[in-house]
Amino acid sequence: MATTVHTPSPVTAAPHQKEHAGLRRLLRLNWLGGAASWLWLAVVVVPLYWIVVTSFKEQRAYFTNNPFAPPTAPTLDNYKLVVESDFPRYFLNSMVVALGTTVPAVLIAFMASYAIVRGSGSRFLGGVSGLFLMGLAIPLQATVIPVYLIIIRMGLYDSLLAIILPSIAFAIPLSVLVLSNFVRDVPKELFESMRVDGASEWGMLWRLAFPLTRPALVTVSIFNGLTVWNGFLLPLILTQSPDKRTLPLGLWTFQGQYSVNVPAVLASVVLSTLPILVLYAIGRRQLLGGLTAGFSK
Amino acid sequence: MEAITTSRRNFLRLVGLGVPAAAALAACSGSTPSQTGAGGGSGGGAKGAATYWFLTGQPQQGIREDTVNRFNAANPKTKIATTEFQNDAYKQKIKTAIGAGKAPTLIWGWGGGGLKSYVDAGQVVDLSGWFGQHGDIKNRIFPSAFGAATVDGKIYAMPCETVTPIVLYWNKKVFDTVGAQPPQSWGDILDLVPKFNAKGIAPFSLGGQSRWTNMMWLEFLYDRIGGAEVFQNVFDGQKNAWSQPASIQALTECQKLVKANGFVKGFSSITADSNADQALLYTGKAAMMLHGAWTYGSMKSDGGDFVTGGHLGYMNFPPVDGGKGDPSDTVGNPGQYLSISSKASAAEQEIAKKFLSTTLLDDTEIQKWIASGNVPVVKGTRSKLAAVSDKTDAAWLTFVYDTSSKAGNFAQSWDQALPPTAAETLLDNIAKLFQLSISPQQFADNMNKVIGT
Amino acid sequence: MTTAAVPRRTAPSRAVRSGRNGPVAWMALPALGMFLMFGVVPLLGVLALSFAQWDGLGAIHAAGLSNWRSVLSDPGLPHALWVTFLVMFLSWAAQTPLALLIGVFLAGHQPYRAVLAVIYFVPLLLSSAAIAITYKALLDPNFGLGPGLHLGILTQDWLGKPALALGVVIFVVSWQFVPFHALIYQGGVMQIPAAMYEAAAIDGAGRVRQFFSITLPQLKYTIITSSTLMVVGSLTFFDLIFVLTAGGPGDATRVLALDMYKRGFQANLMGPASAIAVILVLVGLGLALLLRRIGGGASDSQLEGA
Repeated sequence: MATTVHTPSPVTAAPHQKEHAGLRRLLRLNWLGGAASWLWLAVVVVPLYWIVVTSFKEQRAYFTNNPFAPPTAPTLDNYKLVVESDFPRYFLNSMVVALGTTVPAVLIAFMASYAIVRGSGSRFLGGVSGLFLMGLAIPLQATVIPVYLIIIRMGLYDSLLAIILPSIAFAIPLSVLVLSNFVRDVPKELFESMRVDGASEWGMLWRLAFPLTRPALVTVSIFNGLTVWNGFLLPLILTQSPDKRTLPLGLWTFQGQYSVNVPAVLASVVLSTLPILVLYAIGRRQLLGGLTAGFSK
Repeated sequence: MEAITTSRRNFLRLVGLGVPAAAALAACSGSTPSQTGAGGGSGGGAKGAATYWFLTGQPQQGIREDTVNRFNAANPKTKIATTEFQNDAYKQKIKTAIGAGKAPTLIWGWGGGGLKSYVDAGQVVDLSGWFGQHGDIKNRIFPSAFGAATVDGKIYAMPCETVTPIVLYWNKKVFDTVGAQPPQSWGDILDLVPKFNAKGIAPFSLGGQSRWTNMMWLEFLYDRIGGAEVFQNVFDGQKNAWSQPASIQALTECQKLVKANGFVKGFSSITADSNADQALLYTGKAAMMLHGAWTYGSMKSDGGDFVTGGHLGYMNFPPVDGGKGDPSDTVGNPGQYLSISSKASAAEQEIAKKFLSTTLLDDTEIQKWIASGNVPVVKGTRSKLAAVSDKTDAAWLTFVYDTSSKAGNFAQSWDQALPPTAAETLLDNIAKLFQLSISPQQFADNMNKVIGT
Repeated sequence: MTTAAVPRRTAPSRAVRSGRNGPVAWMALPALGMFLMFGVVPLLGVLALSFAQWDGLGAIHAAGLSNWRSVLSDPGLPHALWVTFLVMFLSWAAQTPLALLIGVFLAGHQPYRAVLAVIYFVPLLLSSAAIAITYKALLDPNFGLGPGLHLGILTQDWLGKPALALGVVIFVVSWQFVPFHALIYQGGVMQIPAAMYEAAAIDGAGRVRQFFSITLPQLKYTIITSSTLMVVGSLTFFDLIFVLTAGGPGDATRVLALDMYKRGFQANLMGPASAIAVILVLVGLGLALLLRRIGGGASDSQLEGA
């Protein structure tokens, strides 16, 4: 296989190619993609706009005005309510759970994927791979009761660890499936050449496979992180004290026996989304770098 | 290859992320004491401290907490620890906890079929003897409230909190513009429908997406047409009870109203818990609404001057011409119910019983319920209700009191009265009935299959 | 860590198969351990429960095959399976082209594309409860989108008519997850070497031709990854549908996972619910095998022979 270097645009373009550069740029304009993206922007923004606008409305005025009109008497009461209701605690809990799940889950899933791909002749590893495959569609709602009993027996009930451990387990099958596809992609010749240089499997795992499967690692991390961040069932069943609540449970404060304080719920949503959004905006370059890392041709 | 150097950096970066996460975990997990007072996290497992779980949402949450605080102040050595959950979450959580032997000492609930499932599983304490000893407490409470607390002749829960019947509300301003009178019978209702539709006003608001809102209609129609026995037969497990003539007639009448466009357009997409259905009434988009008494409070606070300006009319559901039912009957929530977990230790059960006999529904709590615009489930409060300073509220509260206390029969909401399995099938079929996708006969057939489950 | 004698490169196939310089099996142990404890053991518990009768509250009684018989003969089961596959297929069909187009677009270089990408990401961060509350309000026929924007076409009985409700579910799922898949595709596109496009342009291929001849084939593995995530994710998808439609109207959106939850936790029939759970796992297994055949069948790297 020829590993050619990423060719930069030819600086010394032939004159007639430069003439057609304008035409080519026009052809390069992605009409369909652009149209789809702007349309999608509208689709995405309308509900988000509604969320933000309503979070500033009073509950009593909520139905009497046009849902899209800005509030006639904007109020920060909803936000005050949210902040006073232990919101920072819920946010912290959610972060701990999300990070505490994603990092270990992706790491051990990666190790397992590597083992499965590299040791593809072994029956043991074949069996492990099959086991993970079977676990792809284990519905959380069904297994939650046995998990609950296990957690109680381990003495972990009502702790954040109680949410983290099962979440890691549930993240493994899908992560292994995706990651092993990418590890399989790493050309065997590269492993060969590293081995000639005297590397061990552990060394190859981290120095060769890890950087080359970065796109998949990033994808899987985001997927698992988001799943856990928005997860509701496990925190509900496995925790109890208010100070162990994660953000999805934090919305309860505004959901009463008969009705929901919609503007307050939305204020809580805005507050819980903003920090992550800022993080994402800042880290996006890194993220994309991770997604496109890999050996070039 | 540059790939190798970045990999080490990445690995270290990941570990760098993982370590603070792990440290935070170690700090947060396990032994942090619960915020809500004495005792550890697990349900009834804490030594000597009773626990009490209930729903979130004001004003009820605040009043419950206040009662517990007063008990704890009077009994500092034997406190009760509370935890609150959102409605749907609570339903799931309480079942899981009971099933795993981790139930709270005091189990809040809706009585009826749910309570029966606890009884059948041996999870709640029989309070009949206790009520026998504390006859004074039993007599204070509305007798009709004990129906939903009784299983096989024994009492397993104490009725508490408020009584909230279902009421027919109407918008006086809208009626005036159309020049109509509030309906005195089912026939009147059917006559009013085209009048309102002609003016572009929905005759009835309905939050159909929530399903139990549709159910309220059937509850009344069954009662008014055939009397309370019709549903009682279903409840008692009589074979093919849903095919009783009165039952079929009630289902047919209900579909008649749907077909006549008696309900607001798109009612199956309107949710009750966002109060969108109430908004239809107080903004004048709908003329009438059949809903629970608890909506008075939210209509008062969110509806501008709708309630305070006296534009809200209310009445018990009118009789059906030719029907056998007692027009004073009502349906709804005859109370909320507190049970004691049978798996709690003897000490915890004693604390719970003390709570029930001393502080629950004491005068302070009763006053708070009244002040929040609700009728507590105790007898003899009519004068207090009438004495409420806001005259609109006083009129409302006395109406609710009269309706509840004078009702020939106060039926519990079907989805609470029936066992959970049947209740689920019921709600599904009601939704289909209102969408006109099944006929009354099919409804009866489907429901007959789950009688007694 | 250096080791001794290194095999020659003369016998590549043998070297590949035993291509380890030390055992690798132990690396799978942590994942295996976690999965066994919190995945397999509970699953065995669920399997056992499917042969029992339990209401979640009291004692568990053995029930033999009765749960299985009742579940397999219940017409609700094929219906739930059908709805599940419908949701799975439709959400894949709706999300993939859209994510592909947006991902390709975002792989460009204009600065505003960065802003777009950030905005697109927000739906992913919202919890199901938040999304459900938002959409139920927006879809309200009297106080929602339609009346608010004065667009009659948007004022439908969205959650009341079965077909519309299904459409709403697909739409909301897409609304939430398209940005994620667009991100994946964006990464995939940015990995395609410009040289390929240059070569094609020299050969006279237009934009569309380049898309179908270069972009799509090069994205094959990205498409498979994204599709795997979508399909497997939608099989156990529960939260959003539960809070948005609760399976309604009637049972129009009652996917298998929801059917299982309602039977178990609302109707208190843990036995039949467990049977459905086992069915769900088997369906997932079948799907995974299918996906592996499609994805892993080509064991050679897509980049070989370039």
